[in-house]
Amino acid sequence: MTATRLNTGGRIDRSRRVTFSWDGKTIEGFEGDTLASALMASGQQILGRSFKYHRPRGVMSAGVEESGAIVTLGEGAYLDPNVKATTQEVFSGLSAKGQNAWPNVRCDAGAVLGLFGRFFSAGFYYKTFMGLPPFEWGRGTGIWMQYEKLIRKAAGMGEASRAADPDHYDHSHAYCDVLVVGSGPAGLSAALAAAKKGKDVILIEQDFELGGDYLNQSDPVVELKRATLVDALKAAGVRIMTRTTAFGLYDFGTAGLLERVTDHLSVKPLHQPRQRFWTVRAESTILATGALERLVAFTNNDRPGVMTANAARSYLNRFGVLPGQDIVITTNNDSVYRTAVDLVKAGAKVTVVDLRTELSNTLLNKMSQVGVVVKTGLAPLKALGRKIVSGVQLARPNGTQWIADDVLSCDLLLVSGGWSPVVNLQSHRGSKPIWNAKDACFLPGKCNDNVTMAGSAAGYWQNDDCEASGLAAASLAMGEDVKPPSAVGWERPLKPLYEVRIAGQKTKSFVDPQHDVTASDVRLAHQEGFVSVEHLKRYTTLGMATDQGKMGNIIGLALMADALGKEIPDVGTTRFRPPYTPIAIGALAGRNTGEHFKPLRRTPMHDWNLKHGATMTEAGLWHRPWYFARPGETLNEAYIREATTVRETLGICDVSSLGKIAVQGPDASEFLNRIYTNAFAKLPVGKARYGIMLRDDGMVMDDGTTWRLSENSFLMTTTTTNAGKVMVWLEELLQLRWPELRVHVSSVSDQWGGVSIAGPKARTAIASCLEDAGVIAAENLPFMGVRKTTLKGGIDCLIARISFSGELAYEIYVSADHGEAMMDLLWDAAKPMGGCLYGLEALGTLRIEKGHVTGAELDGRVTIDDAGLGQMASTKKAFIGSALRQRPELTRSDRAQLVGIFPKNRNQTFNGGALLCEKENVKGFGEGWVTAVTHSPALGHWIGLGYVTGGHAAWQNQTLIASDPTRAGEIEVEIVSPHMFDPKGERMHG
Amino acid sequence: MVNTVTSLQSTLTLGRHGDQGISNVVLQEIKDFDLFQFAAWENTVETVANHAAQLIGSQTAINPRAVQSSGAGVVFRVEPLKWWLITPTGKLPLEPTLEVDQGVALNLLHSRSWIQVSGEKSATLLNQFLPIDLRLSAFPVGTAATTAFHHVGVTLWRGADGFNLLIPRSFAASLCELLFESAQQYGLSVQQPKSL
Repeated sequence: MTATRLNTGGRIDRSRRVTFSWDGKTIEGFEGDTLASALMASGQQILGRSFKYHRPRGVMSAGVEESGAIVTLGEGAYLDPNVKATTQEVFSGLSAKGQNAWPNVRCDAGAVLGLFGRFFSAGFYYKTFMGLPPFEWGRGTGIWMQYEKLIRKAAGMGEASRAADPDHYDHSHAYCDVLVVGSGPAGLSAALAAAKKGKDVILIEQDFELGGDYLNQSDPVVELKRATLVDALKAAGVRIMTRTTAFGLYDFGTAGLLERVTDHLSVKPLHQPRQRFWTVRAESTILATGALERLVAFTNNDRPGVMTANAARSYLNRFGVLPGQDIVITTNNDSVYRTAVDLVKAGAKVTVVDLRTELSNTLLNKMSQVGVVVKTGLAPLKALGRKIVSGVQLARPNGTQWIADDVLSCDLLLVSGGWSPVVNLQSHRGSKPIWNAKDACFLPGKCNDNVTMAGSAAGYWQNDDCEASGLAAASLAMGEDVKPPSAVGWERPLKPLYEVRIAGQKTKSFVDPQHDVTASDVRLAHQEGFVSVEHLKRYTTLGMATDQGKMGNIIGLALMADALGKEIPDVGTTRFRPPYTPIAIGALAGRNTGEHFKPLRRTPMHDWNLKHGATMTEAGLWHRPWYFARPGETLNEAYIREATTVRETLGICDVSSLGKIAVQGPDASEFLNRIYTNAFAKLPVGKARYGIMLRDDGMVMDDGTTWRLSENSFLMTTTTTNAGKVMVWLEELLQLRWPELRVHVSSVSDQWGGVSIAGPKARTAIASCLEDAGVIAAENLPFMGVRKTTLKGGIDCLIARISFSGELAYEIYVSADHGEAMMDLLWDAAKPMGGCLYGLEALGTLRIEKGHVTGAELDGRVTIDDAGLGQMASTKKAFIGSALRQRPELTRSDRAQLVGIFPKNRNQTFNGGALLCEKENVKGFGEGWVTAVTHSPALGHWIGLGYVTGGHAAWQNQTLIASDPTRAGEIEVEIVSPHMFDPKGERMHG
Repeated sequence: MVNTVTSLQSTLTLGRHGDQGISNVVLQEIKDFDLFQFAAWENTVETVANHAAQLIGSQTAINPRAVQSSGAGVVFRVEPLKWWLITPTGKLPLEPTLEVDQGVALNLLHSRSWIQVSGEKSATLLNQFLPIDLRLSAFPVGTAATTAFHHVGVTLWRGADGFNLLIPRSFAASLCELLFESAQQYGLSVQQPKSL
């Protein structure tokens, strides 16, 4: 292939040169070039190495179906592998290199594998290395696991960077009346027709220019038509999106698009995303997605210098590159003749080899007049040339066989095996394509959605027909009663051609060049019993590369049909799945990465906590203070100090993340009475009560305190984790189960900044912060009392005397924007008393010492009795779960029950998650498990909570093993009451 | 008077940001507003809708997609049986009342952060996160919707000055970081917070 850049013609801007690098070499192209056209123009012929055999590959097409020129772009963290050079625009500073080759694609050491190619048939690796005799005698994968590493290294495509993707991506949503995919003759016509009727139209084009097949033509009249259409579209307000691929169609008119925003720019604007992932919802969709030209399977049909015929037309007329000087075009259809004429006009010597013998004299005369030599009744048997095409061996059909014929020398071998309409997107909607024997292709089938096919995607092969079909599609999309024009097909009938070979000759003729699947592989699959097209695909990997079978599927089906003695439609076809072309994982993620992977919740005191030394941790979606380390302190030192300080003086902890639900209405108390296990009907105003709610199946769902603020108004608190779940549950109960109750529930979690002040000096500290200190006196605010009052400075607050730590403790809530002011007040009071700020770690320590349960213990598998709270289940009323909690399985006395755990040797530690086993029977699930552990400053040693069969009573004075085989081994432990500190609760009632 | 600290106080850096010379997106926090909820029983929907609207001297707010506004505030229906009323701080008593036979009222002070998004690209920016149709024909001035922003339920309405977004306070900083980062591609101006 001796390609040359022409001095005139094409759509490139010769006044704007761009310099880029290819495999370390500096190369020049022009604005408007693709990487493929620029490399071709600069004489680069081998641009890739094949997946398995490391065969040299060059440019095989001019679009997304490319299977040869697949390269890696960028450097370092910006590496972008498996990019098709045929779709990548060149820009100054672009860095591209070959892949799957060492040291480079022109001279690849891996090519030695090609010598053993005859052994690497479909399934070779698995058949050879799994259960390798004599070592594994037909079973086992141990040896395969070793070989696989080598095989994966030897085969494959590009390699992604191990670094995190430094680019950012956006998601976006859009709506329209009509979505038109494809801007060729049909798409442009359809979009304009819809827009002229007042429809809101979005036009999608994967290329960087609008026009589709118009762009491949040199006729100025055609260009004028294209430009006029584009101007009219803009004037009509059509939203035009170039460099945007519709990769999938989904339910109810939803399309997935990928817009490449900066992939073509030398200098990427700092704040622009690299790509945008669009979700477009359209009332109707027109697919004018075009058709792809097919290759034919013949020996060495993957040699650099073999490409589809229309690709040559594109390089010539669009990019100003004459891709060869001495060109042979082999075909079975009419489409190549316009290409032949253009190539001759550009100065090439062109021979058309047409399989058909009955060509019209008009055509032959026309070709003769322009200097195109036409040979008929022949097809390509073998591409000649060691690394690059130097000729073609032709063959002539002889009955059902082929016999060798002439050899023609050439530097470019163009092939047209027919055209395949791009029915992929319609196929995403479950539509089954229908085989059209006349044109040897699948045409779109029936689609139940509002999706209309147009242009060559619907089997129209001439521009005029495509335009007419576009207009008809627009009318159909708008619900008008229009009959689409009948497809006239080719002027002269196409003669199906999928493979040319002489029986018995073992050669490499590729069906799916991107995955190195050969015609022999397809036949082997058949011989080995894979008769379904789905099995064929999986066994040979046909159509499973990044082009998803765009080039090879039809040929593969044809070969399988031939082997089975069936017609192609009887073999079936696989349905296409999204995405139509590959999508970067980053585009799927959008901006939802790093800190924004999940929506992050911050408490009203978030900044205040940080200013005061908090190290934060995640608790569900919340960021909460984990601990407040002093300079030089470790986590352990900090939390032990904090917990100790709470027991000795006082501590302040941000508890804003607790779920808070306003329960209002005249039936609110009845509602609470039904959902909690204990009685709430008579809870006095100004009092709080701890409650447990069960699921319908009798298992514990959540716990928390509920405060009665007025006759008809309660404030329910939930665990941080279950706040959303409980809210949904309450809504469901009110809407579906008890619609007669006049109750409203509203989440007020975000309304309040909440803080817990715990410790012997808590009351004194708070009193100094209140406008009326007497409010907090023991007689005015007894245990579980609730008051509305005012902090100094006029901050209204709710204050409740409740304790999670087991100390004298209060929770104060203020409206959120007052959170920091409250913290300033409290901290100013607490600090001089020797108080501390404490985080989740110390909070955990304090509650474990007390045996108070949290989500670790209430994990959805435990009953209220298991958690040691059975006395809270009323026997005098019904509540949710009250019946099913009495199932025999849930009332067995040997169920695992909440216990405290000490290490037998008090200097030892054990881990949360360890299994509790009998000393002589350390295996299986054991007798229980550890849910939480901590160092207890109050007790001076390590402690834990967990569940053990039969509970404390069953294992008193016995030794169990905390077995943690993956981490800490086995530790001897004792089972104690879960109430390990101040079991009578004297401190919190003080 | 004690200083209040809004959730966005340290999130949005004032001034111009981004690639463009002009600001196609303007973000501005609205503060100093009260938010009240009025919830009706099934047989008192009209009564409560009228009650909420009358508090700001507006027409009935029965249409779930319509925002009623007056100089005294805005009111809209956020759920089939619930209305939100937004007024400047202190305009109404902090403990709104409703006869229990009519429904229940709730002060939701500080539960939401309010960000106003305006400028030529405001709808484009919002549609990077909100899946609803924001074309002027589908979402004209005076329209409200409850929708999702990165899985978080938010309330949106279109006013004469642009879009108004009420975000649950705990999520506001995180979601506004996303708005701030994304908006810079269009040219962003963050303006001084203003009181309602």
